Amino acid sequence: MILMDAFVQDLIHYSPQILAGLKNTLLLMAIMSVTGIAGGIGLFYLSLAQNRFLRRGTERFISFFIGTPLLVHLFLMYYGLPPLGIRLSAFAVAVIGFTINVSAYNARYLMTAYNGLDKTQIEAARAQGFRFFQIFRLIILPQALRLSVPSLTNQVIQNLKDTSVAFLIQYPDFFAQMQEIASTNFQFFKTYVAAGLVYLALVSVIVAAARRLERKVALPGLETLGRA
Amino acid sequence: MALIDVQDLIKRFDGKEVLKGVTMSLSEGQSKVVMGASGCGKSTLLKCLNLLVSPTSGRIIFKGEDITRPDMDIHRLRQDIGFVFQHFALYTHLTVEENITLGLRKIKKMKTAAAREKAAFELERVGMIEHRNKYPAHLSGGQKQRAAIVRALAMDPAVLFLDEPTSALDPQMSREVVTVINKLYLDNITMLCVTHDPFLAKYISDSIVFMHEGVVVAEDVAERLFYEHEDPRVRQFYLSVIDHR
Repeated sequence: MILMDAFVQDLIHYSPQILAGLKNTLLLMAIMSVTGIAGGIGLFYLSLAQNRFLRRGTERFISFFIGTPLLVHLFLMYYGLPPLGIRLSAFAVAVIGFTINVSAYNARYLMTAYNGLDKTQIEAARAQGFRFFQIFRLIILPQALRLSVPSLTNQVIQNLKDTSVAFLIQYPDFFAQMQEIASTNFQFFKTYVAAGLVYLALVSVIVAAARRLERKVALPGLETLGRA
Repeated sequence: MALIDVQDLIKRFDGKEVLKGVTMSLSEGQSKVVMGASGCGKSTLLKCLNLLVSPTSGRIIFKGEDITRPDMDIHRLRQDIGFVFQHFALYTHLTVEENITLGLRKIKKMKTAAAREKAAFELERVGMIEHRNKYPAHLSGGQKQRAAIVRALAMDPAVLFLDEPTSALDPQMSREVVTVINKLYLDNITMLCVTHDPFLAKYISDSIVFMHEGVVVAEDVAERLFYEHEDPRVRQFYLSVIDHR
């Protein structure tokens, strides 16, 4: 009890630091979720390009970033670039690294959804006289996005959890702050459990919002698939 | 002058010649049906005519213009040709009305209100007005095909292409769609329809083009082609698809 009190007191004592970390975590997650969707849509568009080289190049880019660990990209930029004269802040590295990584995953989700689309719609749009960009914007993307909502929202959850990796490049996120508290009060178990509970609470909020969104945007006729 | 004039059209896919020199024409106000066994090249012919499939050689003259020339604006051409597909190809995420107005707004640059008015007028013509706010998933096959016909017609095309419009439908729904296309035929809409269905062919055509292994082997009115034609390939085909008892 005395220990618990001491631990709670520690948390209260360090609350400004914890809240600042939490703010940094949520900021990074929000930014990479938005840029990741935008980048994913861009890569998805390029992977459907009529130019064969562009299509293959995009596919290789996506495969590379999915096939190599995020930490390697972050370390490469944060520790590998300064000797070459390029010095980026931890925040910039985190945003760039996460954006590329998340974009690659999101593009894959959108491509998977695209593969499930009824392609006669695209042929019909071509036959109507739509140009490729219009077909992408008006026919393909709205459906691919709606079919990908479960994967894209899972990615947002993943983004939140992955922000904890950023502390390895000195980004003062929530986990970095908790780590610091643990190394000060030596209450490793309790501190990490508390950190885990905070992540769980945040994930629960995202999951609830995601399920609502899934139901709201399910494609007509495919509603039951969304709830399965 | 013919609206469409096809001269010696050849299409090869990976060395396989699907169209082996098709020559045919379609005049304004005329309705023709292309028939023939599966794999004879009739759907490929239709898709070559609006350049969904690029012809290997030959000439297609549309409204006096050679559309096979390299600098042809294919988007402009396609806006002038309505296309109805076998499997309806409605945009799944849009309502019936939105399916129709999308092309009007984004291609014809019509104002939303005018596009909706046009859609309502065309839907009324085919008895679909009460379904305008439904999504394709909530329509029957016959209703989907009628919506697809309206989507094509609303663009005021010079010609309407129909690729097996009744093949994916059961007999009752098929009759629904035949009735609609027959009405268009009676309204002198220029049409070119590919089908296996002799019932549809009979009620919507001025003449029937019969294809066999990538070439046109006969062209005649339905009655003569179905029952009296001298070509054994034509006789054989209609013996198999028409109950002669």
